[in-house]
Amino acid sequence: MKGKILVGIWLLALMSAIGVAAASPRTNTTTEPVVRNSAEADTMRLEGEKRFRANCGRCHAAPQKFPPRMMATIIRHMRVRATITDEDMRLVLFYMTQ
Amino acid sequence: MSFCRQNSERPRAGTPIPRGGRTLFLLFFLFAAQLLAQTTESDRPVPILTGTAGYFNFVTAGQNQLDAQINPVVLVPLGDHWLVESRAEFEGAFQRPPDGGSYSGMVSKNLDYAQVDYIANPFVTVTVGRFLTPFGIFNERLYPIWIRSLQQDPLILPLSAESNDGMMLRGGFPVNARVNFNYAAYVSAISTGHNNLQSNRDLGGRMGVFLPGPRIEFGGSWQKLLQDQRTNSFGFHFAWQPTRLPLSLHSEYARSNQGSGYWVDGAYRFSQVAFWQKAMRHLEFAARAEQFFNGQISPDEAEALGLPGANTREGEFGLNYYLRDGLKLVGSYGRQFSYAGNFNLWTAGIAYRFAVPLGRVAQ
Repeated sequence: MKGKILVGIWLLALMSAIGVAAASPRTNTTTEPVVRNSAEADTMRLEGEKRFRANCGRCHAAPQKFPPRMMATIIRHMRVRATITDEDMRLVLFYMTQ
Repeated sequence: MSFCRQNSERPRAGTPIPRGGRTLFLLFFLFAAQLLAQTTESDRPVPILTGTAGYFNFVTAGQNQLDAQINPVVLVPLGDHWLVESRAEFEGAFQRPPDGGSYSGMVSKNLDYAQVDYIANPFVTVTVGRFLTPFGIFNERLYPIWIRSLQQDPLILPLSAESNDGMMLRGGFPVNARVNFNYAAYVSAISTGHNNLQSNRDLGGRMGVFLPGPRIEFGGSWQKLLQDQRTNSFGFHFAWQPTRLPLSLHSEYARSNQGSGYWVDGAYRFSQVAFWQKAMRHLEFAARAEQFFNGQISPDEAEALGLPGANTREGEFGLNYYLRDGLKLVGSYGRQFSYAGNFNLWTAGIAYRFAVPLGRVAQ
């Protein structure tokens, strides 16, 4: 009985969190972020570096930059492994490949 | 047996391809078209062979062990939403017999994970196959030898399963600008057929909160064994990387009927030291304190699971020198205290991470 209550609470908390996030504004779902000009690209690079240090640094030292096609695979792997967010993944990929 | 029979009845040239064969051909051309499409676009992900290799000397209570290991990881992205990933572990551990003689030992083989991930949307990734158990943070994220700051496993690592065969939902998303939420929930089936693919029938999950500003992460894990004694395990984790210091702190607590315990691990990179900067920025000091408390199982059962047979405390510190990205020399000293006896733990070795593309990467 106690186990079922725990499972219930766990699922309720999970669904609530997903609901809150789903209600917030959505980011686009394309792989490449849309960049309109060089100033925006610079801003994204800076933000990407910030997200890179915050997310990747949680587990390991900063790795070297790989070619873009390798980086795209690595970042997808890390998205799943480290449960990093969709937005963080895009910005880190932009920073690591531009 | 049925596989052999199918081979012997394989259709000859000119024979119409059976329905199953046609499906295979269709699948082949579907995937071939997908892979071909990937090679024409410069930003498309490419399959990768990555992983780690290492060689270590572990001296435990005066007994030397030579340990060589290689852990290849294959990553195959398909389209925009799919990823097939797998990691195997080959480890040779060699010791001299107590009565003298040459080193001998076994090479163990293990499939850590072989999973298919489908990134359904920004909130959910569906994983099917054999996956690393999302309990705490060490097993999933800190286990690889090029990542861990000290090469000895934490004492409490065997308290939860290391791999499960089943299905998992996971993801991470921002709750607001200052808080990210991450989760994993899974169910697994019992698998006993092959030693290297064993899995329990489990239900469990992990939830965590990451604060990107102060770089703090904390969360909890839970696992219920759906067989035998149907026991529960739970744990908590914490990680912090201060923005002003090249310091990384990790910690876990876990409790089950097999025992309980915690570890606290810190690694400080000497990149801000004012002298000998050229060498010091490659140097890292690491330390860990941990404790294990016996549970409701006998010492023999505990040792069979890889746990200490008695209440145990351990302290360890060491130095890592990064020769270049993904290649480091490691050395550490630790001491274990328990009713079964106190002893020293020495480690020296080298860890290397490799990554090679399995396709064209030039633009």
